[in-house]
Amino acid sequence: MSTSQKILVPDVGGEEVEIIEICFAVGDSLEADEGILTVETDKASMDIPAPFAGTLSALLVNVGDKIKEGDVIAEMSAEVTPAGEAASAETAPVEVAVEAPAPVVDEEPVAAEPASVAAVATAIIDVAVPDIGEDGEVDVIDVLIAVGDVIEAEDGLITLETDKATMDVPSSHAGTVKEVLIKVGDKVKQGSLVIKLETSSGAPVEAAAPVAEKIVEAPKAAPAPAAKKAAPVPHHPQAGTVKSSGSIYTSPSIRRLAREFGVDLTLVKGTGNKARILKEDVQSYVKYELSRPKANAGSSVAAGEGGLQVVSAKAIDFSKFGEVETKALTRIQKISGPFLHRNWVTIPHVTQFDEADITNVEAFRKEQNVVCEKKKLGFKITPLVFILKAAADALREFPTFNSSLSEDGESLILKKYIHIGVAVDTPNGLVVPVVRDVDKKGIHQLSRELLEISIKARDGKLKAADMQGGCFTISSLGGIGGTAFTPIVNAPEVAILGVSKSEMKPKWNGKDFEPKLMLPLSMSYDHRVIDGALAARFTVHLSNVMSDIRTLIL
Amino acid sequence: MSNDIKTQVVVLGAGPGGYSAAFRAADLGLDVVLVESRETLGGVCLNVGCIPSKALLHVAKVIDDAAAMASHGVTFGAPQIDLDKIRDWKGSVVGQLTGGLGGMAKARKVKTVFGYGKFTSDKTIEVEGADGKTTITFDNAIIAAGSSVVDLPFIPTEDPRVIDSTGALELKDVPEEMLVLGGGIIGLEMGTVYSALGSNVSVVEFADQLVPAADKDIVRVYTAYNKKKFNIMLSTKVVAVEAKDDGLYVTFEGKKAPAEAVRYDKILVAVGRKPNGHLVAADKAGVNVDERGFINVSKEMRTNVPHIFAIGDVVGQPMLAHKAVHEAHCAAEVISGKKHEFDPRCIPSIAYTDPEMAWVGVTEREAKEQGLNIEVANFPWAASGRAIASARTEGKTKMIFEKETGRVLGGAIVGINAGEMLGEVCLAVEMGADAEDLALTIHAHPTLNESIGLAAEVFEGSITDLPNAKAVKKKK
Repeated sequence: MSTSQKILVPDVGGEEVEIIEICFAVGDSLEADEGILTVETDKASMDIPAPFAGTLSALLVNVGDKIKEGDVIAEMSAEVTPAGEAASAETAPVEVAVEAPAPVVDEEPVAAEPASVAAVATAIIDVAVPDIGEDGEVDVIDVLIAVGDVIEAEDGLITLETDKATMDVPSSHAGTVKEVLIKVGDKVKQGSLVIKLETSSGAPVEAAAPVAEKIVEAPKAAPAPAAKKAAPVPHHPQAGTVKSSGSIYTSPSIRRLAREFGVDLTLVKGTGNKARILKEDVQSYVKYELSRPKANAGSSVAAGEGGLQVVSAKAIDFSKFGEVETKALTRIQKISGPFLHRNWVTIPHVTQFDEADITNVEAFRKEQNVVCEKKKLGFKITPLVFILKAAADALREFPTFNSSLSEDGESLILKKYIHIGVAVDTPNGLVVPVVRDVDKKGIHQLSRELLEISIKARDGKLKAADMQGGCFTISSLGGIGGTAFTPIVNAPEVAILGVSKSEMKPKWNGKDFEPKLMLPLSMSYDHRVIDGALAARFTVHLSNVMSDIRTLIL
Repeated sequence: MSNDIKTQVVVLGAGPGGYSAAFRAADLGLDVVLVESRETLGGVCLNVGCIPSKALLHVAKVIDDAAAMASHGVTFGAPQIDLDKIRDWKGSVVGQLTGGLGGMAKARKVKTVFGYGKFTSDKTIEVEGADGKTTITFDNAIIAAGSSVVDLPFIPTEDPRVIDSTGALELKDVPEEMLVLGGGIIGLEMGTVYSALGSNVSVVEFADQLVPAADKDIVRVYTAYNKKKFNIMLSTKVVAVEAKDDGLYVTFEGKKAPAEAVRYDKILVAVGRKPNGHLVAADKAGVNVDERGFINVSKEMRTNVPHIFAIGDVVGQPMLAHKAVHEAHCAAEVISGKKHEFDPRCIPSIAYTDPEMAWVGVTEREAKEQGLNIEVANFPWAASGRAIASARTEGKTKMIFEKETGRVLGGAIVGINAGEMLGEVCLAVEMGADAEDLALTIHAHPTLNESIGLAAEVFEGSITDLPNAKAVKKKK
């Protein structure tokens, strides 16, 4: 709708002023605040600006005319109804007083706020992947619902497989599935849309709507280069969002410093006023990047930079030598492989071997299992539970074993909690769920938890959180056989205990040989953190506790 | 006589870019030879450009200021103009600076070779000088060959009444009727000089505004102020020039074209400058030069031949001495092994006209073209005590901020001394300053310079020297 409006002379200082220039002709379109004409006062020349954007429909004055406040100088038609009281104008020309020309400040056109979602009977909401404890994308291995399904909140929607486990993504709301946006084989991450859900109650919708809106943007915004640039190390002192180089907030001297060191300033977090990048920020970024190989060379090895140079293996056609079959690595193998490789290459491993006399603890265990069965407790006590308790005791005695190297490789982070990972062999591969607060739990509780964990692990129901936070790992192959092996430290932990099959051995007690049930222990440790003597003391302590578990209550 | 020189760095051209590159390279410990076709160092800028024009503009300013005093109660007599003396004074200004450069070159042990240098291979340059040929064998070369004025085909350039900026600076006489062809910075500056000395000056510009690179609201202030001084013909072009005994008859075409051919005593052609890339036999060294004469370079100022660099007018717009100097330092430092790039956020432009026009960073028009979300804040000098006291209230200070963050993206100033004030805006853009930073910096009062802080206050809504559009609205 176009309205024609008269343009009046604003307050120009009282007297008549002379028009010295007309800047536009009838028919010209002009922006708001652009000068229509220039007048000359005794003090200065000034422009009479257009009060809004539009087309000049009539010019009622000429150069040389004298005009004063309130005179009509022109008519303009606006394509868009101007804001303010003029908005009421429909057809008749309305007189619009123009403000004094000096401080030209654009009034920001106020966009209509999108009305918030009212409480309605039904609403469609987006359900997205929540925090799954993974930084990257994960595979969708199963879709559990179909369009039309009526689901409850917390019902599983899809199954994801991470490097550590498979997990279900639960629905955030109850409702009817209107659309399924994901299929098996897709890769998703936190924020990826899963389904559109018609909810029956309006109340939660309001809360959910803005979240959903954000989520909609997430996949679009996901900048691949940003994801690649970001170092995989947590607590990285870098900016969270990737900025374009033009918007970097710093001075030319810092840009030059960054160039000298080849620093991409978009990755540097500014600590100055208003997140300005300071010289110190560039320096600490460089220091940090230089120290990374020391603390966590894995990422650079994986990225093929720095680290070790090795001769690449030649491709060999094995079929020359006989029949072959190519079988893909399992997903867990594919993902854990690089991590195992990193740990093996970057951690100087030493493995300490020892034997624990478990004759007595085994006798005790068997007695207790009879009791368990009688009491119908629903679980059996395994030798592993005693090893867990003994390891927790040893970790408390030797806190160095319950630590991680700091990122800069300059210090040790000692943990005041004792969570122990237990390697579990599953049909899908090796997983390491973590038993929490082992030192604070009794044999029965630990037995029960171990049983639950192994069932979950075998069913692929472990969540990412179930596998995080370990301080130390126990890998038991005792049920299978073998005399010793050299486990790989599960970084950022600093030690791992391997347990092999126990065996009855003749032991010299000073007078004669006694049959003793001996449990072989193989403990690998990070030699950067742990000395050989300390490692020997640790395993000796461990086997002493195992041979007489009464010491646990001392 | 033939000379052979071997050097680590040869610099071709001793303008502001060339001598800066040579001096910087020498200060970084390199052996440097500087080749110059003129008889003195300093290039166009010092000899026939920036510096002599400023000397004449100073003369013009004093003449105009003296005349303007009449309305404030001080009347001087009509100026007595001694062209020879003005010319001598201008020459002494140039001599002082170029002589200083020669001394500095010696002090730095930069060897200067005078004569026209051309590449003979990617390792050698041959210089044709007054004392014969010199062959320079170099490890690295920096091409700083500059630019020259653009001629128009229909202009009888051989006629002595047709001059370019160099001819205008020679100040042979003061013509009665003078046409300035081209309403850019150079044309307007020289027009200002001749107008003050007594010429009737007409300016013809093909675009619809003078100084097309600047924002029109800035130029409009200039145009309005100079309406009586110049006869300005915009959107108009010259189609023919006929040289007759009594003058040059010019035929125009376009919006403001006079119907008949108009007689002028002199025509100053100031339609632009073209790069000298084709004049140094760069092809012999394998350096690519585009059809217009520009040499493309990387951010390190390297040409397609890795050990040959190019800087200044010959690598592209804007053709400004201060840009060339920074490029020169970059090239010299890269040659010396430093990691450096030419990476400025902004390059300032200044027209030393009356009033001056100065701008830096994005202009309002560029911001619109680039779709930037900006907010413009103006401080009109009618509200500046210093401007009122100087009887020069026509000026204004215009700042361009990123709307959301208040970051300073650019600024433009029109008014007396605008050029001297622009530095603050340049620094603000380079440092990534916000409007708040400018508004909270205490600017001395009364100065013209405080208008920058006041424009930032307009943006911030803290202005008290003007009506405040962002003031809290009181309920009635």
